[in-house]
Amino acid sequence: MAVLQMQRISIYALRKDRKPILEWIQRRGAVEINDALEEDNVFQRMDVSTQKAQIEKNIAASKQALEILNRYAPEKKSLFAVLEGRTEIPVEQANAFGGKSDDVLRVAHRLNERSKDIADCRGLIQKLQTQMEALKPWMNLDISMRTKGTKSTTAFVGSFPAGYTAGDLEEQIALLAPKVPVYAEVISTSQEQTCTFLLCGRADAQVLEEALRTLGFARPSSPTKTPPAERMRVLQERMEEQEQIIQEAEQEITGYASQRDDLKFLVDYLTMRSEKYDVIGRLMQSRRTFVLTGYIPQQDAGKLTQELEGRFGAVVELEAPAQEDDVPVLLKNNKFSEPVEGVLESFSLPGKTEVDPTSIMAIFYYILFGMMLSDAAYGLIMVIGCGLALLKFKNMEPSMNKSLRMFFFCGISTTFWGFLFGSFFGDAVAVISRTFFEHEVVLGPLWFEPIKEPMRMLIFALLVGVIHLFAGLAMKFYQLWRLKCYKDILYDVIFWYMLVGGAIVFMLSSQTFVDIAQLSFILPAQAGTAAAVVAGIGAIGIVLTSGRESRNPAKRLLKGLYGLYNVTGYLSDILSYSRLLALGLATGVIATVINQMGSMGGGGIGGAIMFILVFIVGHTINLGINLLGAYVHTNRLQFVEFFGKFYEGGGRKFAPFGIHTKYYKIREEK
Amino acid sequence: MDNIGVVLALLGAVLAALLAGAGSAVGVGRAGEAAAGVVTEDPSKFGKVLILQLLPGTQGIYGLLIAFITLSQIGILGGDSNISLAKGILYFLACMPMAIIGYWSALKQSRASIACIGLIAKRPDQLGKAIIFPAMVETYAILALLVSILAVTGIAGLPV
Repeated sequence: MAVLQMQRISIYALRKDRKPILEWIQRRGAVEINDALEEDNVFQRMDVSTQKAQIEKNIAASKQALEILNRYAPEKKSLFAVLEGRTEIPVEQANAFGGKSDDVLRVAHRLNERSKDIADCRGLIQKLQTQMEALKPWMNLDISMRTKGTKSTTAFVGSFPAGYTAGDLEEQIALLAPKVPVYAEVISTSQEQTCTFLLCGRADAQVLEEALRTLGFARPSSPTKTPPAERMRVLQERMEEQEQIIQEAEQEITGYASQRDDLKFLVDYLTMRSEKYDVIGRLMQSRRTFVLTGYIPQQDAGKLTQELEGRFGAVVELEAPAQEDDVPVLLKNNKFSEPVEGVLESFSLPGKTEVDPTSIMAIFYYILFGMMLSDAAYGLIMVIGCGLALLKFKNMEPSMNKSLRMFFFCGISTTFWGFLFGSFFGDAVAVISRTFFEHEVVLGPLWFEPIKEPMRMLIFALLVGVIHLFAGLAMKFYQLWRLKCYKDILYDVIFWYMLVGGAIVFMLSSQTFVDIAQLSFILPAQAGTAAAVVAGIGAIGIVLTSGRESRNPAKRLLKGLYGLYNVTGYLSDILSYSRLLALGLATGVIATVINQMGSMGGGGIGGAIMFILVFIVGHTINLGINLLGAYVHTNRLQFVEFFGKFYEGGGRKFAPFGIHTKYYKIREEK
Repeated sequence: MDNIGVVLALLGAVLAALLAGAGSAVGVGRAGEAAAGVVTEDPSKFGKVLILQLLPGTQGIYGLLIAFITLSQIGILGGDSNISLAKGILYFLACMPMAIIGYWSALKQSRASIACIGLIAKRPDQLGKAIIFPAMVETYAILALLVSILAVTGIAGLPV
């Protein structure tokens, strides 16, 4: 449980060592670069925007190439690929890649080029297909579509927007141009269009054209020089050519499948370089030296200093960060509480004066989660599933490892509460034994069944809530203690303990409350009176001190009264823990409904098959929904009720200069 | 007309499942539309927006829960279904918090969910906070659930 102590680090070294030093620091991943120095005549920053832009461009190209390769030659991935984590390679291999990177980049460009070729061919094929479609009605025409006629005749090749036979056509033309002898041939006809070849004497051409126009005659938009059938053959050949090109390109692309790993490493390699150039751009450099400033966790500082000085002859200066510095936050916790760091981070990291609440939070997190899910079988499924994954995939990414560990511990807690409350897939044991073995076996609760005694469960849930809230107040106590604000401890913590604690004890001595809550005990009246006095002192204290920053006495009193009004906040905070009951019941009751639905088929083989189907589908859904519910509401109880008592956050996450790759990680020499 | 008690009780149970379920269906549906929009832009956000989409879905489950407890209490799922008129009315009333608040809170929660799906679209790292806003609305559904559970389970022992 701790926020790691940070130190300011300044590294002074020769410029000729820049590359090895930076790469070494990058692999260590322990320093956050923070450029606090100003430029002057000697020390200046280098402009790296050109290099950076080039690298970014190459990253985009290699990513695209990888995508193309995966499209044409999909990679075989196991179902659990996400658990496997990045492949580890030794540092020598990573360094050796530098010489190869240009070749691989060429491959990437080639892949992109070929993919573009394929796209171009596809576009061309589309165009050819349109042309062929337009040509289809003309296939029976055995002369050029551009035929104008002979010495003494004029030919018309074109279409009408209606369905005609040759006879119809001649009839229509005879009506409009009675004196013109016409030869009409129908090439093809459909309801919307008739393609025709018409011939008349040269002298009559004008008259006929007039008549044809009235009928809606239109010449083809792209007439062919050769007869349509021949033209069609040419188009066909061209299309096959394009398809050939596509096939070849695809073959070439799949041929690069063996280079997939190189491409992946190229992406990583360039990403590392890009990060390095970012840092180079922020360094202060003179002609022969450079200065690097930043933050480093104290625990890593000694070793790093030693190695930098030993290996590279650099000079390292360490100092405690100044009061006004914006120091980044890095948490360190044990295996048990570390998993919930992610939850804390999704709220906010601890601010300057705050302590790391992870370890206290972890205990409550697991307990509350377990109470909400509270089914032994669901808990066992979580424990076994997460446990197996953790055992089998040792190389898992840290964040994935943390989440699985969190659900592992939540699963243990869920199993525990499940047995206490007697829920194993709801009432599955009783239902199965009753339906299929005609002898009911009941898996009784080790403690009590919430559905039978909801009031008891409610009181227990609220009790857990009070403990959780008081723990939050205790955290505030600790925080103020560290800051040596002893008066504030009295005003903001002790008075509230007195008021809320006193009120609770007082209620426990009142007959009315004990009757409502169905408690089996009652505190003696003297205890009640004493508690009332304590609560009263607390209340008065709060009224007097809540407005302590105001000088005006009237304002101070009003603020004090408003402070006391916060007691309603405590009331709603405590009642909020009733969700422990509601969500716990929801899991159990829905599981019961599923079992009941499954057993409707009765005993026998058919009944058993139906039961198994309903059981598997139903419980999978129920587990999924309630996992989500438990996760969300545990978070809420932590964020709103618990953190509300002492924690604001606002810390900035420690973001060291390191290797943030996607596919590979580099194993450091020991 | 002798059995009007059980009719009223069943009406209450059915309304709890029906209204809360309708609210959740509409709520999850709306949130799903917003979520689909985000996923078209960035498929990697699927997991995050799915959680937000599902949040308004719990009211339907709570409604089912109340309906089921009521059904088993009034003997519809086997047992004695002879309920007095007074008890019938009591069961009906006991189901109302879950029915009404379930419906409204699911609708309002879906609006918070949609807003937070928008938040995730712009700032995917803020999932923890984005979940809390809709979860705030759910508190009231949970309180209604609690009142309904306590009331429904308590009625059987009353001397009416």
